[in-house]
Amino acid sequence: MKNQLRKALAEPLSAALLVGALIKGLIYVIYYRLFTKNVRVNFPFKAFGSVSIRGPGSVYIDKNCSVHENVFRGLNIVTLSEEALVRIGKNSMLGGLSIRCWGQVMIGEGTMTALSLIQDVIYVSCVNDGGPSVANKLVYSKPIIIGDNVWLGGNSIILSGSRIGHDSVLSAGATCFNAEFDKYRLISGNPATRGLPIDQLLKLKART
Amino acid sequence: MGRIRGKLFILKCQYLRKNIKIDEGLTIKKKLLITGKGRVSIGKNCVIDGIKGDASQYVSINTYSRDASISIGDNAHLCAARISSRFCISIGSSVLIEESGIVDTDFHSIERDRGRPQDESLEKCKVVIGDRVAIGSRSFVMKGVHIGDDAKIFPGSIVTTSVKAGALVLGNPARVLRES
Repeated sequence: MKNQLRKALAEPLSAALLVGALIKGLIYVIYYRLFTKNVRVNFPFKAFGSVSIRGPGSVYIDKNCSVHENVFRGLNIVTLSEEALVRIGKNSMLGGLSIRCWGQVMIGEGTMTALSLIQDVIYVSCVNDGGPSVANKLVYSKPIIIGDNVWLGGNSIILSGSRIGHDSVLSAGATCFNAEFDKYRLISGNPATRGLPIDQLLKLKART
Repeated sequence: MGRIRGKLFILKCQYLRKNIKIDEGLTIKKKLLITGKGRVSIGKNCVIDGIKGDASQYVSINTYSRDASISIGDNAHLCAARISSRFCISIGSSVLIEESGIVDTDFHSIERDRGRPQDESLEKCKVVIGDRVAIGSRSFVMKGVHIGDDAKIFPGSIVTTSVKAGALVLGNPARVLRES
Protein backbone atom coordinates (compact mmCIF):
# COMPACT_ATOMS: atom_id res chain seq x y z
CA MET A 1 0.00 0.00 0.00
CA LYS A 2 2.82 2.39 0.93
CA ASN A 3 4.62 1.64 -2.33
CA GLN A 4 1.47 2.33 -4.31
CA LEU A 5 1.00 5.66 -2.57
CA ARG A 6 4.61 6.60 -3.27
CA LYS A 7 4.10 5.69 -6.95
CA ALA A 8 0.95 7.80 -7.13
CA LEU A 9 2.77 10.79 -5.64
CA ALA A 10 5.64 10.39 -8.09
CA GLU A 11 3.35 10.22 -11.15
CA PRO A 12 0.14 12.10 -10.38
CA LEU A 13 -1.15 12.09 -13.97
CA SER A 14 -1.16 8.31 -14.38
CA ALA A 15 -2.70 7.93 -10.94
CA ALA A 16 -5.50 10.31 -11.95
CA LEU A 17 -6.04 8.34 -15.17
CA LEU A 18 -6.24 5.12 -13.16
CA VAL A 19 -8.81 6.60 -10.80
CA GLY A 20 -10.84 7.82 -13.78
CA ALA A 21 -10.71 4.37 -15.37
CA LEU A 22 -11.83 2.76 -12.10
CA ILE A 23 -14.80 5.14 -11.85
CA LYS A 24 -15.75 4.53 -15.49
CA GLY A 25 -15.45 0.79 -14.90
CA LEU A 26 -17.67 1.02 -11.82
CA ILE A 27 -20.32 2.73 -13.93
CA TYR A 28 -20.14 -0.13 -16.47
CA VAL A 29 -20.35 -2.72 -13.66
CA ILE A 30 -23.45 -1.09 -12.14
CA TYR A 31 -25.05 -0.64 -15.58
CA TYR A 32 -24.67 -4.29 -16.53
CA ARG A 33 -25.84 -5.45 -13.05
CA LEU A 34 -29.00 -3.35 -13.16
CA PHE A 35 -30.14 -3.50 -16.76
CA THR A 36 -29.05 -6.91 -18.04
CA LYS A 37 -29.49 -10.38 -16.62
CA ASN A 38 -27.01 -12.28 -18.77
CA VAL A 39 -23.93 -10.04 -18.46
CA ARG A 40 -21.83 -10.11 -15.29
CA VAL A 41 -18.78 -7.85 -14.94
CA ASN A 42 -16.89 -7.98 -11.66
CA PHE A 43 -15.35 -5.09 -9.75
CA PRO A 44 -12.53 -3.84 -9.98
CA PHE A 45 -12.84 -3.22 -13.73
CA LYS A 46 -10.58 -0.59 -15.32
CA ALA A 47 -12.15 0.92 -18.43
CA PHE A 48 -9.56 3.09 -20.20
CA GLY A 49 -11.54 2.60 -23.44
CA SER A 50 -15.11 2.03 -24.47
CA VAL A 51 -16.94 -1.20 -23.70
CA SER A 52 -19.95 -2.58 -25.55
CA ILE A 53 -21.56 -5.93 -24.82
CA ARG A 54 -24.64 -6.91 -26.82
CA GLY A 55 -26.73 -9.91 -27.67
CA PRO A 56 -28.84 -12.51 -25.87
CA GLY A 57 -26.05 -14.87 -24.71
CA SER A 58 -24.28 -14.83 -21.35
CA VAL A 59 -21.00 -12.99 -20.74
CA TYR A 60 -18.85 -13.30 -17.63
CA ILE A 61 -15.81 -11.10 -17.02
CA ASP A 62 -13.79 -11.90 -13.90
CA LYS A 63 -12.30 -9.34 -11.54
CA ASN A 64 -9.38 -6.99 -12.14
CA CYS A 65 -9.67 -6.87 -15.94
CA SER A 66 -8.76 -3.73 -17.86
CA VAL A 67 -9.83 -2.39 -21.25
CA HIS A 68 -7.53 -0.20 -23.36
CA GLU A 69 -8.22 1.75 -26.51
CA ASN A 70 -6.48 0.41 -29.63
CA VAL A 71 -7.07 2.14 -33.00
CA PHE A 72 -10.21 3.77 -31.55
CA ARG A 73 -11.68 0.41 -30.56
CA GLY A 74 -12.26 -0.80 -27.06
CA LEU A 75 -13.84 -4.09 -26.07
CA ASN A 76 -16.66 -5.28 -28.32
CA ILE A 77 -18.54 -8.47 -27.48
CA VAL A 78 -21.51 -9.68 -29.51
CA THR A 79 -23.33 -12.89 -28.68
CA LEU A 80 -25.39 -14.24 -31.54
CA SER A 81 -27.50 -16.93 -29.85
CA GLU A 82 -29.03 -17.60 -26.44
CA GLU A 83 -26.71 -20.55 -25.73
CA ALA A 84 -23.63 -18.43 -26.33
CA LEU A 85 -21.13 -18.25 -23.47
CA VAL A 86 -18.16 -15.88 -23.24
CA ARG A 87 -15.89 -16.19 -20.22
CA ILE A 88 -12.85 -13.99 -19.60
CA GLY A 89 -10.49 -14.79 -16.73
CA LYS A 90 -9.11 -12.41 -14.13
CA ASN A 91 -6.19 -9.96 -14.54
CA SER A 92 -6.55 -9.87 -18.34
CA MET A 93 -5.75 -6.76 -20.38
CA LEU A 94 -8.11 -6.36 -23.32
CA GLY A 95 -7.17 -3.73 -25.88
CA GLY A 96 -9.27 -3.51 -29.02
CA LEU A 97 -10.54 -7.08 -28.74
CA SER A 98 -13.74 -7.95 -30.55
CA ILE A 99 -15.55 -11.22 -29.94
CA ARG A 100 -18.40 -12.59 -32.02
CA CYS A 101 -19.70 -15.69 -30.34
CA TRP A 102 -22.35 -18.23 -31.26
CA GLY A 103 -21.23 -21.21 -29.19
CA GLN A 104 -18.53 -21.00 -26.56
CA VAL A 105 -15.47 -18.78 -26.09
CA MET A 106 -13.29 -19.36 -23.00
CA ILE A 107 -10.33 -17.08 -22.30
CA GLY A 108 -7.97 -17.81 -19.41
CA GLU A 109 -6.39 -15.61 -16.76
CA GLY A 110 -3.87 -12.90 -17.49
CA THR A 111 -4.48 -12.71 -21.23
CA MET A 112 -3.06 -9.76 -23.13
CA THR A 113 -4.65 -8.79 -26.43
CA ALA A 114 -4.07 -6.22 -29.11
CA LEU A 115 -6.47 -5.42 -31.97
CA SER A 116 -7.58 -9.01 -32.51
CA LEU A 117 -10.73 -10.83 -33.50
CA ILE A 118 -12.19 -13.95 -31.94
CA GLN A 119 -15.04 -15.36 -33.98
CA ASP A 120 -16.45 -18.87 -33.81
CA VAL A 121 -18.69 -18.69 -36.85
CA ILE A 122 -17.47 -18.12 -40.38
CA TYR A 123 -20.01 -15.53 -41.46
CA VAL A 124 -21.67 -13.39 -38.83
CA SER A 125 -24.57 -11.94 -40.71
CA CYS A 126 -25.95 -15.26 -41.93
CA VAL A 127 -26.41 -16.65 -38.43
CA ASN A 128 -29.41 -14.59 -37.52
CA ASP A 129 -32.19 -14.16 -40.02
CA GLY A 130 -31.94 -11.48 -42.66
CA GLY A 131 -28.78 -12.80 -44.27
CA PRO A 132 -28.81 -14.36 -47.70
CA SER A 133 -29.53 -18.06 -48.00
CA VAL A 134 -26.11 -18.76 -49.56
CA ALA A 135 -24.00 -19.11 -46.53
CA ASN A 136 -26.51 -20.62 -44.16
CA LYS A 137 -24.96 -24.06 -44.49
CA LEU A 138 -21.58 -22.82 -43.32
CA VAL A 139 -22.35 -22.14 -39.68
CA TYR A 140 -19.26 -23.82 -38.32
CA SER A 141 -19.22 -23.51 -34.58
CA LYS A 142 -16.76 -25.36 -32.37
CA PRO A 143 -15.71 -23.97 -28.98
CA ILE A 144 -12.64 -21.73 -28.76
CA ILE A 145 -10.47 -22.33 -25.68
CA ILE A 146 -7.55 -20.04 -24.86
CA GLY A 147 -5.29 -20.86 -21.90
CA ASP A 148 -3.78 -18.66 -19.20
CA ASN A 149 -1.19 -15.91 -19.80
CA VAL A 150 -1.61 -15.93 -23.59
CA TRP A 151 -0.49 -12.91 -25.58
CA LEU A 152 -2.48 -12.21 -28.75
CA GLY A 153 -0.66 -9.96 -31.22
CA GLY A 154 -2.13 -7.25 -33.41
CA ASN A 155 -4.52 -8.16 -36.22
CA SER A 156 -4.60 -11.81 -35.19
CA ILE A 157 -7.74 -13.80 -35.89
CA ILE A 158 -8.93 -16.86 -33.98
CA LEU A 159 -11.60 -18.89 -35.74
CA SER A 160 -13.74 -21.79 -34.62
CA GLY A 161 -12.25 -24.99 -33.28
CA SER A 162 -8.88 -23.58 -32.19
CA ARG A 163 -7.37 -24.41 -28.80
CA ILE A 164 -4.35 -22.48 -27.56
CA GLY A 165 -2.33 -23.74 -24.59
CA HIS A 166 -0.97 -21.87 -21.57
CA ASP A 167 1.74 -19.21 -21.89
CA SER A 168 1.66 -19.11 -25.69
CA VAL A 169 2.29 -16.11 -27.93
CA LEU A 170 0.22 -15.49 -31.05
CA SER A 171 2.28 -13.33 -33.39
CA ALA A 172 0.92 -10.39 -35.37
CA GLY A 173 -1.35 -11.29 -38.26
CA ALA A 174 -1.66 -14.96 -37.32
CA THR A 175 -4.87 -16.80 -38.11
CA CYS A 176 -5.86 -19.99 -36.31
CA PHE A 177 -8.56 -22.19 -37.76
CA ASN A 178 -9.50 -25.61 -36.42
CA ALA A 179 -6.07 -26.33 -34.89
CA GLU A 180 -4.72 -27.31 -31.48
CA PHE A 181 -1.53 -25.94 -29.95
CA ASP A 182 0.40 -27.12 -26.89
CA LYS A 183 1.49 -24.85 -24.09
CA TYR A 184 4.48 -22.48 -24.35
CA ARG A 185 4.46 -22.07 -28.15
CA LEU A 186 5.05 -19.23 -30.58
CA ILE A 187 2.23 -19.40 -33.12
CA SER A 188 2.53 -17.54 -36.40
CA GLY A 189 1.39 -17.66 -40.01
CA ASN A 190 -1.84 -17.46 -41.89
CA PRO A 191 -3.14 -20.18 -41.53
CA ALA A 192 -1.09 -21.17 -38.47
CA THR A 193 -0.24 -24.86 -38.68
CA ARG A 194 2.10 -25.71 -35.82
CA GLY A 195 3.64 -23.68 -33.02
CA LEU A 196 7.37 -23.36 -32.34
CA PRO A 197 8.41 -24.11 -28.75
CA ILE A 198 9.63 -20.88 -27.16
CA ASP A 199 12.34 -22.44 -24.97
CA GLN A 200 14.11 -23.82 -28.06
CA LEU A 201 13.98 -20.37 -29.65
CA LEU A 202 15.53 -18.87 -26.52
CA LYS A 203 18.33 -21.47 -26.63
CA LEU A 204 19.03 -20.58 -30.29
CA LYS A 205 19.19 -16.90 -29.39
CA ALA A 206 21.64 -17.59 -26.57
CA ARG A 207 23.94 -19.54 -28.93
CA THR A 208 24.33 -16.76 -31.52
CA MET B 1 -36.72 2.58 -41.54
CA GLY B 2 -33.99 1.14 -43.74
CA ARG B 3 -36.40 0.98 -46.69
CA ILE B 4 -37.20 4.69 -46.35
CA ARG B 5 -33.52 5.62 -46.20
CA GLY B 6 -32.93 3.47 -49.28
CA LYS B 7 -35.73 5.19 -51.22
CA LEU B 8 -34.38 8.61 -50.27
CA PHE B 9 -30.91 7.58 -51.44
CA ILE B 10 -32.30 6.36 -54.78
CA LEU B 11 -34.17 9.66 -55.28
CA LYS B 12 -31.02 11.63 -54.46
CA CYS B 13 -29.03 9.63 -57.01
CA GLN B 14 -31.67 10.10 -59.74
CA TYR B 15 -31.49 13.87 -59.62
CA LEU B 16 -28.04 14.78 -58.38
CA ARG B 17 -25.68 11.97 -59.36
CA LYS B 18 -26.40 10.59 -62.82
CA ASN B 19 -23.49 8.11 -62.74
CA ILE B 20 -25.10 5.97 -60.05
CA LYS B 21 -27.86 3.53 -61.01
CA ILE B 22 -29.73 1.74 -58.24
CA ASP B 23 -32.70 -0.59 -58.78
CA GLU B 24 -35.65 -0.65 -56.42
CA GLY B 25 -35.74 -2.30 -53.00
CA LEU B 26 -32.50 -0.95 -51.53
CA THR B 27 -32.30 -1.20 -47.74
CA ILE B 28 -29.80 0.98 -45.90
CA LYS B 29 -29.42 0.04 -42.24
CA LYS B 30 -26.12 1.88 -41.73
CA LYS B 31 -24.20 4.45 -43.76
CA LEU B 32 -23.50 4.15 -47.51
CA LEU B 33 -20.72 6.27 -49.03
CA ILE B 34 -20.26 6.50 -52.80
CA THR B 35 -17.49 8.73 -54.14
CA GLY B 36 -15.90 9.32 -57.54
CA LYS B 37 -17.15 9.91 -61.08
CA GLY B 38 -17.14 6.37 -62.47
CA ARG B 39 -20.25 4.32 -63.15
CA VAL B 40 -21.81 2.45 -60.22
CA SER B 41 -24.78 0.13 -60.61
CA ILE B 42 -26.50 -1.81 -57.83
CA GLY B 43 -29.20 -4.45 -58.43
CA LYS B 44 -32.54 -5.16 -56.84
CA ASN B 45 -33.20 -5.80 -53.14
CA CYS B 46 -29.67 -5.14 -51.90
CA VAL B 47 -28.98 -4.68 -48.19
CA ILE B 48 -26.39 -2.25 -46.82
CA ASP B 49 -25.50 -3.13 -43.25
CA GLY B 50 -22.79 -2.72 -40.64
CA ILE B 51 -21.02 -5.60 -39.02
CA LYS B 52 -21.95 -6.63 -35.51
CA GLY B 53 -19.49 -5.81 -32.81
CA ASP B 54 -17.04 -3.55 -34.58
CA ALA B 55 -16.35 0.12 -35.03
CA SER B 56 -16.39 0.28 -38.82
CA GLN B 57 -20.05 0.57 -39.60
CA TYR B 58 -20.32 1.84 -43.16
CA VAL B 59 -20.07 0.57 -46.73
CA SER B 60 -17.83 2.63 -49.00
CA ILE B 61 -17.78 2.37 -52.78
CA ASN B 62 -15.09 4.44 -54.52
CA THR B 63 -14.21 4.96 -58.18
CA TYR B 64 -10.95 6.63 -59.11
CA SER B 65 -11.50 7.57 -62.77
CA ARG B 66 -14.29 8.32 -65.23
CA ASP B 67 -13.86 4.98 -67.00
CA ALA B 68 -14.09 2.95 -63.82
CA SER B 69 -17.16 0.83 -63.27
CA ILE B 70 -18.53 -1.13 -60.34
CA SER B 71 -21.55 -3.36 -60.81
CA ILE B 72 -23.26 -5.33 -58.04
CA GLY B 73 -25.98 -7.91 -58.75
CA ASP B 74 -29.36 -8.56 -57.16
CA ASN B 75 -29.94 -9.56 -53.52
CA ALA B 76 -26.41 -8.63 -52.47
CA HIS B 77 -25.71 -8.28 -48.76
CA LEU B 78 -22.88 -5.84 -48.02
CA CYS B 79 -21.75 -5.57 -44.41
CA ALA B 80 -19.10 -2.88 -43.92
CA ALA B 81 -17.48 -3.72 -47.27
CA ARG B 82 -14.97 -1.41 -48.94
CA ILE B 83 -14.93 -1.56 -52.75
CA SER B 84 -12.60 0.70 -54.72
CA SER B 85 -11.95 0.55 -58.44
CA ARG B 86 -9.88 2.21 -61.16
CA PHE B 87 -10.84 -0.19 -63.98
CA CYS B 88 -13.72 -2.62 -63.49
CA ILE B 89 -15.20 -4.67 -60.66
CA SER B 90 -18.22 -6.86 -61.32
CA ILE B 91 -19.93 -8.71 -58.49
CA GLY B 92 -22.63 -11.35 -59.08
CA SER B 93 -26.01 -11.77 -57.48
CA SER B 94 -26.84 -12.88 -53.91
CA VAL B 95 -23.33 -12.45 -52.56
CA LEU B 96 -22.38 -11.83 -48.94
CA ILE B 97 -19.44 -9.50 -48.25
CA GLU B 98 -18.42 -8.84 -44.65
CA GLU B 99 -15.96 -6.12 -43.58
CA SER B 100 -13.43 -6.78 -46.31
CA GLY B 101 -11.75 -4.89 -49.12
CA ILE B 102 -11.99 -5.42 -52.85
CA VAL B 103 -9.44 -3.50 -54.89
CA ASP B 104 -8.38 -3.65 -58.56
CA THR B 105 -5.33 -1.38 -58.60
CA ASP B 106 -2.16 -0.87 -56.60
CA PHE B 107 -2.94 2.90 -56.34
CA HIS B 108 0.79 3.81 -56.37
CA SER B 109 3.86 2.67 -58.27
CA ILE B 110 7.10 1.60 -56.62
CA GLU B 111 8.94 4.56 -58.17
CA ARG B 112 10.28 7.32 -55.93
CA ASP B 113 7.46 9.76 -56.76
CA ARG B 114 4.76 7.18 -55.95
CA GLY B 115 2.79 8.12 -59.06
CA ARG B 116 0.28 6.04 -61.01
CA PRO B 117 1.42 2.50 -61.79
CA GLN B 118 2.27 2.20 -65.51
CA ASP B 119 1.74 -1.46 -66.37
CA GLU B 120 -1.90 -1.73 -65.39
CA SER B 121 -4.64 -2.34 -67.92
CA LEU B 122 -8.29 -3.35 -67.94
CA GLU B 123 -7.60 -6.96 -68.98
CA LYS B 124 -4.94 -7.46 -66.34
CA CYS B 125 -6.67 -5.87 -63.39
CA LYS B 126 -10.35 -6.68 -63.83
CA VAL B 127 -11.94 -8.31 -60.78
CA VAL B 128 -14.85 -10.69 -61.34
CA ILE B 129 -16.77 -12.23 -58.47
CA GLY B 130 -19.39 -14.86 -59.27
CA ASP B 131 -22.84 -15.59 -57.91
CA ARG B 132 -23.51 -16.82 -54.36
CA VAL B 133 -19.96 -16.06 -53.18
CA ALA B 134 -19.41 -15.33 -49.48
CA ILE B 135 -16.39 -13.34 -48.29
CA GLY B 136 -15.53 -13.34 -44.59
CA SER B 137 -14.45 -10.46 -42.40
CA ARG B 138 -10.97 -8.87 -42.51
CA SER B 139 -10.15 -10.51 -45.84
CA PHE B 140 -8.88 -8.83 -48.98
CA VAL B 141 -9.36 -9.43 -52.72
CA MET B 142 -6.51 -8.13 -54.90
CA LYS B 143 -6.38 -7.06 -58.56
CA GLY B 144 -6.83 -9.49 -61.44
CA VAL B 145 -8.70 -12.12 -59.42
CA HIS B 146 -11.62 -14.18 -60.72
CA ILE B 147 -13.69 -15.89 -58.05
CA GLY B 148 -16.00 -18.63 -59.33
CA ASP B 149 -19.60 -19.27 -58.37
CA ASP B 150 -20.39 -20.68 -54.89
CA ALA B 151 -16.84 -20.10 -53.63
CA LYS B 152 -16.44 -19.38 -49.91
CA ILE B 153 -13.63 -17.19 -48.62
CA PHE B 154 -12.86 -17.57 -44.93
CA PRO B 155 -12.12 -14.66 -42.57
CA GLY B 156 -8.62 -13.21 -42.62
CA SER B 157 -7.61 -14.54 -46.03
CA ILE B 158 -5.88 -12.49 -48.72
CA VAL B 159 -6.84 -13.61 -52.22
CA THR B 160 -4.08 -12.99 -54.78
CA THR B 161 -4.79 -15.71 -57.38
CA SER B 162 -8.00 -16.85 -59.03
CA VAL B 163 -10.33 -19.20 -57.16
CA LYS B 164 -12.27 -22.00 -58.82
CA ALA B 165 -16.01 -22.42 -58.45
CA GLY B 166 -17.18 -24.06 -55.22
CA ALA B 167 -13.84 -23.92 -53.38
CA LEU B 168 -13.22 -23.09 -49.72
CA VAL B 169 -10.25 -20.75 -49.35
CA LEU B 170 -8.16 -19.67 -46.34
CA GLY B 171 -4.80 -18.04 -45.65
CA ASN B 172 -2.24 -15.54 -46.88
CA PRO B 173 -1.81 -16.10 -49.84
CA ALA B 174 -5.15 -17.85 -50.02
CA ARG B 175 -4.92 -21.61 -50.40
CA VAL B 176 -7.69 -24.07 -51.15
CA LEU B 177 -8.97 -26.01 -48.13
CA ARG B 178 -11.51 -28.10 -49.94
CA GLU B 179 -12.64 -28.34 -53.55
CA SER B 180 -16.12 -29.41 -54.44
